[in-house]
Amino acid sequence: MTTRAHPRRGDPALGAIAVLTLGLYALFIVVPVIMSAWKSLTDENPLKPQTHFVGFDNYTEMTHDSALSDSLTFTLLLTAAVTIAANAAGIGFAILLNKTSLSYRMMRTVAFLPQVLSGVIVAFVWRYILAQDGILNDILTTTGITDKPITWLGTPHLAMFSVGLVAAWVLTGFTTVVHLAALQSIPVELYQAAKVDGAGRRQQFRHITFPMVAPGTTISVTISMITMLKLYDIIAVLTSGGPADSTQSTALYIIKCAFTDNRFGYASAVAMLLLAVSAVIALSVTGLLRRREVDL
Amino acid sequence: MRPTPLIAACVAAGLTLLTGCSAATNDGGKGGSDLTYLTFETPNLNAQFWDTSITEAQKQAPGVSVKKIVTPGTDRDAYAKQLLASGQFPDLLQSITPSTFAQNGLLKPYDKNWVNANFLMPMGNAYKGEVYIPPTNSQVIPEVFYNKKLFAQAGITAPPRTWSEFMAVCAKLKAAGITPIELGGGDPFSASMPLVGILSADVLGKNPNWLQDRYAGKTRFTDANVEAAATKYRTMVKEGYFQDGALGVKYADSITNFTSGKTAMYMMGNWFLGSVPKDHADDFGAFLTPTDDGSLVVPFAVGGSMAISAKTADPAKATAFAQAWSTNPANLKTLIEGDGAFPMLKNKTLADYNVNVTQVYKDSYTYVTDQNTKVSAFGWATNDDAMPSGLNDAFYSASQALFTSDDVHGQLAKLDAAWDKATK
Repeated sequence: MTTRAHPRRGDPALGAIAVLTLGLYALFIVVPVIMSAWKSLTDENPLKPQTHFVGFDNYTEMTHDSALSDSLTFTLLLTAAVTIAANAAGIGFAILLNKTSLSYRMMRTVAFLPQVLSGVIVAFVWRYILAQDGILNDILTTTGITDKPITWLGTPHLAMFSVGLVAAWVLTGFTTVVHLAALQSIPVELYQAAKVDGAGRRQQFRHITFPMVAPGTTISVTISMITMLKLYDIIAVLTSGGPADSTQSTALYIIKCAFTDNRFGYASAVAMLLLAVSAVIALSVTGLLRRREVDL
Repeated sequence: MRPTPLIAACVAAGLTLLTGCSAATNDGGKGGSDLTYLTFETPNLNAQFWDTSITEAQKQAPGVSVKKIVTPGTDRDAYAKQLLASGQFPDLLQSITPSTFAQNGLLKPYDKNWVNANFLMPMGNAYKGEVYIPPTNSQVIPEVFYNKKLFAQAGITAPPRTWSEFMAVCAKLKAAGITPIELGGGDPFSASMPLVGILSADVLGKNPNWLQDRYAGKTRFTDANVEAAATKYRTMVKEGYFQDGALGVKYADSITNFTSGKTAMYMMGNWFLGSVPKDHADDFGAFLTPTDDGSLVVPFAVGGSMAISAKTADPAKATAFAQAWSTNPANLKTLIEGDGAFPMLKNKTLADYNVNVTQVYKDSYTYVTDQNTKVSAFGWATNDDAMPSGLNDAFYSASQALFTSDDVHGQLAKLDAAWDKATK
C-alpha cells in the first residue's frame, strides 16, 4: 500500500506552480486581450509606421458595417443550430454506446474520432464528400433520390447548411463523450429502484437519465457554443466564407479586416465585440443551465 | 521538496518567453548578407524549382546566403503582411502586389538603367514611376479557351469575334447538349474570370484610364457602362451558359472538367496554358473576350519576380541576388512551360529558352508581341491600375453574388462602397 502526499497549505512548491500557471495565463491570455483592447482604439495598419488613437471610432463604425452584421448573424445562427443538433445527437449516441462490452468501447473511440482530427483535415475530407461530383451526390443520384447533383457548397443557403452539418459532425464526437461520462456516473441502483417501481424506459429517461446528465449537458452546451462562436478552420477550408460571403463567420471577417484590408485597429474592435458576445452568451447559458440543474 | 529549482525554472521560462518576444523587430533585415526570401509553391513552381533557382542565383551573386520562406497558401500579400506585423518582413518577396507595400515605403525600387537594359516593357508594372518588381513576364487575363472538337460537334466553324456572335455560339452549344462555359466558381478568384474579361473588354477597352479615374473619383462602378457590362455576365448565368452548380466547382476541378471535354469553353488566365494536355493540345484554341464591335482588346498584366524590402540590411547583395534570379532564362523556362507565362526578357526569342510549348501557347503569345490594344486586366494589374488593397476580395465576392442575384446595381454599389472605404 502506498501513501499519497497531499500538498500542504502554504507549500512553496504549490506556490511556484501557481505563479508559473498564472504567469503563462497572463502572458498568453490576459496581455493579448489587453493589447487587442488597446489596438481597437487605434487605426493601426500593418503597412504604416504611425498609429493614431481614434477613441471609439472603430466601435461606431461597427454599428453600420453590414458585412459585420451579416457575419455575426450567420455565426449566431450557426452556433444555435449546431449546438442544439450536436448535443441532441450526443445524448442519443451516448445512450446507445453506454454499454461495457469491447465492441461498444471500440465504437466510443470511433465516435470521438471527429473531435481528435484537425478541423482542416475534416474540412478537406468533407469538401470531397460534398463536391459536385463527390461521394454524397454519387449516392443520391445512383440511388435515384435526386435527378442531378446537388450544389452543396455552391449556393448560399446550402453552403450554410453544409458548414453546419460538418461542424455538428465534429462536435458530436465531443458531446457524445461528455454525455457518456455523465451517464456512467449515474448509480445503477436508481434504475433498479425505478424498475421495481414499474417505471418504463421512457419514464427512466425522463426522471433519471435526463436530470442526472444535466451537469454534463451544461459543460457540453457551453463548450459547443464557444467553439462555434470562434469557428474558423472548417469554414476557411470548406467554403473560404463563400459563395458571396454567405458563410463568412465573424472569426473569418476579423482575419479579412486585419490581413486583407490592413485594418488591425478595426479587426481588434471586432474581436473585442466577439469576445463580449461570446462571454455574455456563455455566462447566460451557463447560468440558465445551472439553474436547471438545481431545479432538476 | 525545495522550491528553488521550480522557481528557477519559472524564471528561466519567463526569460525565454520574453527573449522570444523581444527578438521580433520590425527592421525587416538580417545582419550581413543572410537574406530571407518569401516564395510560394504550386504544382509547377514546386520546392525543387525554388531551391534550384536560388542556388543558381547565389552562384551569380557570391556571398549571399538565402533562407527560403514559403507562404502557407497562395496569398503572398496577406502572408507578407503577417510577417511584417510580427517583425519578420522578408528581404525579398516573390510575386507580391507592389502597390500595397510601396505606397508605405516598404519596398526599394530597382535601378531604371538595369530595368531598361533587360526587359521588353521596362515600365510595364511600374507603380508611380518606379519599378519594384522586374518585369520578367506578362500575362493575358483571361483568355477564352475553347475545345475545337466540341465546337465542330455543335457546327461552329470559327471562334466568335463580337459579343453577339459569342452569345450565338453559347446558344448553339447549349442546343447541341454541350455545356458552353466551364466555371470554377468554388474558388473566388476563378469565379471572377468572366467578369474580369467583360469589364476589361467593355470598360477598359473604351477608357483605359478607368481605374485611375476611379481613384480620382471621376468614375464609379455604378456608372451605366459598367452596369451594362456586368449585366452581360448576369445574362450568361441566366441563359444557363455555365455548368450546373458552377459555384461549387473548385478551380482545380474546373481545369479537369474542361480538359476532359465536359465543357466547351473556359475563361481563365494564360497560366491555364501550362495545363493544356500535351497529347491532344491541338484540340484547344483561344480567343479574347469579344467586344460589341469586334475590336480586339487584350486584358494584359505585366508580372515579374521579386520585390526588395526597403529595410533589408544588405541592399546591394539583395539587389544582386534579385537581378541574377530575374534574368536567368532557366527560371523563365519553368514559368513558360508550367505556368504559360509570356517571357519579357530583352533580345530573346522563345527558342532561346529551349522550351517545348503548344500551338495554342504560341497563338496566345502573339497577343503580347503584336501591336494591338492592350489594357490592364481588371483586378490583376500590379501597376498604377492595381485596385486598392482588399478590393479584389470584394470584387470576387460580387462575382459570386451575381451568379445568384439579379441585383447588378446593388452589387456594384457595394463595390463602390468598398473602394471608398479602402481608399479613405
